[in-house]
Amino acid sequence: MRSILFLGTSSGAGKTTLDAVFCRYLARRGMRVAPFKASNLSLNSYVTLGGEEIGMGQAFQAWASGLEPTGDMNPVLLKPSGSGRMQVILRGKPYMDISRDSVMDRDAVMEKACESYDRLMSEYDAVVCEGSGSPAELNLMKTDMANVGMMKARGVTSVLVADIERGGVFAAIYGTWLLIPDELKPLMKGFVINRFRGDVSILGSGIERVEKLTGMRCYGIVPYETLKFPEEDSMSEIGGSLGDGDIHEEFVRNLDRLIDSAEAAGVDLEGLARLLEE
Amino acid sequence: MKNIKKKVEDEIAGGNIHCNSSCAYNPCHFKGQNCTFCYCPFYPCHDERLGYEVPSEKLGSVWSCEDCLLIHRDFFVEDVMGTIEKEGLKAGDPRMREVFEDAVGRLWRPGKAVMVVGATSDAGKSMTVAALGRIMLRRGYLCAPFKSQNMSLNSRVTSKGHEIAMVQMLQAQAMGLTIPDFHMNPILLKPKGNTMSQVVVEGKPFGDYDVPGYYNDFVPGPGRDIVRRNIEFLKNRFDYVIMEGAGSPAEINIYDRDIANMRAAEIADADCILVVNVEWGGAFAYAIGTVELLPTEDRARIKGIILNNVRGDPEKMRSGAEELERRCGIPVIGIVPHVDVQLPQEDSEAFRGVKTRGNGSLRIAVVKLPRIANFTDIDPLYTEDTTVVFADCPEDILSADAIVIPGTKNTVDDYMWLVSTGIADAIKMMRGKVPILGICGGYQMMGAELVDLKGIEGREPGTYAGLGLFDNLSYWEKYDKRVVRDKAELVDGGGAVEGYEIHMGMSVVKEKPLFNITSFGRKGEVEGSVREDEMLYGTYIHGVLDKPAFRKKFISLIRSRGERPAEKVCETEDYNAFVDRNLDLLADAFESGLDMKRFLEIMGVRE
Repeated sequence: MRSILFLGTSSGAGKTTLDAVFCRYLARRGMRVAPFKASNLSLNSYVTLGGEEIGMGQAFQAWASGLEPTGDMNPVLLKPSGSGRMQVILRGKPYMDISRDSVMDRDAVMEKACESYDRLMSEYDAVVCEGSGSPAELNLMKTDMANVGMMKARGVTSVLVADIERGGVFAAIYGTWLLIPDELKPLMKGFVINRFRGDVSILGSGIERVEKLTGMRCYGIVPYETLKFPEEDSMSEIGGSLGDGDIHEEFVRNLDRLIDSAEAAGVDLEGLARLLEE
Repeated sequence: MKNIKKKVEDEIAGGNIHCNSSCAYNPCHFKGQNCTFCYCPFYPCHDERLGYEVPSEKLGSVWSCEDCLLIHRDFFVEDVMGTIEKEGLKAGDPRMREVFEDAVGRLWRPGKAVMVVGATSDAGKSMTVAALGRIMLRRGYLCAPFKSQNMSLNSRVTSKGHEIAMVQMLQAQAMGLTIPDFHMNPILLKPKGNTMSQVVVEGKPFGDYDVPGYYNDFVPGPGRDIVRRNIEFLKNRFDYVIMEGAGSPAEINIYDRDIANMRAAEIADADCILVVNVEWGGAFAYAIGTVELLPTEDRARIKGIILNNVRGDPEKMRSGAEELERRCGIPVIGIVPHVDVQLPQEDSEAFRGVKTRGNGSLRIAVVKLPRIANFTDIDPLYTEDTTVVFADCPEDILSADAIVIPGTKNTVDDYMWLVSTGIADAIKMMRGKVPILGICGGYQMMGAELVDLKGIEGREPGTYAGLGLFDNLSYWEKYDKRVVRDKAELVDGGGAVEGYEIHMGMSVVKEKPLFNITSFGRKGEVEGSVREDEMLYGTYIHGVLDKPAFRKKFISLIRSRGERPAEKVCETEDYNAFVDRNLDLLADAFESGLDMKRFLEIMGVRE
């Protein structure tokens, strides 16, 4: 499988960042890699050179990969416009408004998203995909696109990113795995624990137990970093702290720093890269 | 003794008077208490479920029943009064003993413990406990909050001078109690920075521990027993003990050493309700993962799940909730909407990342000290026409219409931060231009000198020049802590304040005092410092802004430099009443989202 999908146990688990880190890691090793997020719910968008509107997260991931962002990298962008309405951007162009009276044809849109994915797969050595929110939303699973949607449609190998900051991380990993449909569980290869502060050894017994219960492998524990990284949903607040230099360069420097500290903390990026060869 | 006999005679003659709201001390135990027996006709009952021996200067020890609630319950008073009247008993009649034993035998039973555990920190456990307590209070039940171990820098002082977490005090208020005490939070952990925490046991400092020390020595040592005896105490006195867990109960790596969650539930024999915050997504996964990681016997305690903080249409969660029920066999007893209530927050973490709050015309900079403590002091400012800015750079100070320097767990280290960020210089530049208020650690910083020759407060022993806004000097000589409640009046008139002091370190005050202390037995004491001409105020009293008197004075000095003038200079509402109204709103939201039938089943109530 030349692609990998980063899923999150919640919103803000660190998917976007780790996705960018991994893109940068692969690009540094000389791979031609592209980011992809089937569907993105965000008001924070970027306009590509081709005039297409995509999620800001994928734009940054493209820069991390050494690429110019394109519409294929985020084929479906959902922009909530208040009072129950949502604008659907498909392949960078306004497609329709979802409201109480007008429902999106999910399957048709998903097909378009898959076409974008296929195109990236044919053009690049590897595609690093990002999930959306949690993949275990029981009430949304049927219509999901970016998480189990991609797993079902293209059998993408998946790795779970779990945020330890609020606690309950083992419950989050095990619970998410439990709720992933049984036929897709074999795609769940591992997990990464994000935003850890303190002595790593304290987690050992818990990690072993979850590995045993799920068959997933722990690919590492990412230390807490106050990253000057533009969050997907609040660019304006954090953007200012990126310094006076070129924002893309600052960003990539931050990624390099994070790769170093992740590797120093024993995160097995090499192992994740091997998943692409399986 | 004779005098008391006469009083009991009068009480019996007066019959059941229910709640005496004309009494200055009412309610001295709980809202709506029965005041017929201000003096107990059964004293001393020596029933250890209701009272205990306390040391006495004259007698060696004496029976104390000040924590007995049974004698203030309507059903108990009605019952014993009926018997006393029927039998024509007088005070001191030996048959009173029989009346007591018979009534207690029929009417007393230990309370039921119910525990709210959360899938994560910030799941909404504290607010759920408060809401459930208020809901039960409205149905006439007497409840007590309990959290065995709370890690928080936000503590308060009880009327008996014990230090407990602020949030348990708030929960007690939700449950209509006016005498919250240390039993409700017997272990309080106060992080000191680095890796050490001060452990406060039953309201008094016990010692400093690091994380391994706490889990390896404290918990297996005194920890368990502390939890057991305090739960026992509360169960003997209340209909319900509504317990709160800490963090997630499913931290399987420290499971056997966690006395804040399922071990406490086991000690209390509590049924549990799991609360999951849906705001960040992944709620179903967190819920089922938490339940499934618990050992069978602990899992059996979880009787219901609440999906909390739902924005938008709760019906959208319904299909998922049903599926979750089916998958883990535990009913979802509530889908509770997000509600905007203004209540004190437990953790400063809660405003992590938040730069400002409110959108009023007066811009108040609250210095965001790294170890900010008792930051609920500033909550009353949110009720005014203010924008509160959490200031972490000089610009925030220079653009403010007023400055508040709050309390801290570590005055010296935080003062170093104040200097290194340039905020200290900014504050000095604003001297005389805008009102400046320092509370506790912030008040100490306002002085001329901080003397810590033994390094008790800061990392390095030494003497440090303070902001110099006052000529005062603060010093740390021994590892000692002042914990006291204060009632006080503004020296120049204008009204009363009420609050509490919690501080290491003392001050030599060389300024005009701000307050006259009016607390019982402390007449003549003064507190705080003021320089009216420069609008400088300093005090050790936490909660100084709660009552309208001082808040009104402080806010009236502030001149907005913005384009809009202040719309309302000041609300005169007591902050306590404001909090109480918000507790009702919170309980309303929970009632609207809870399946009340299933909830009351868990509580063992049949309606």
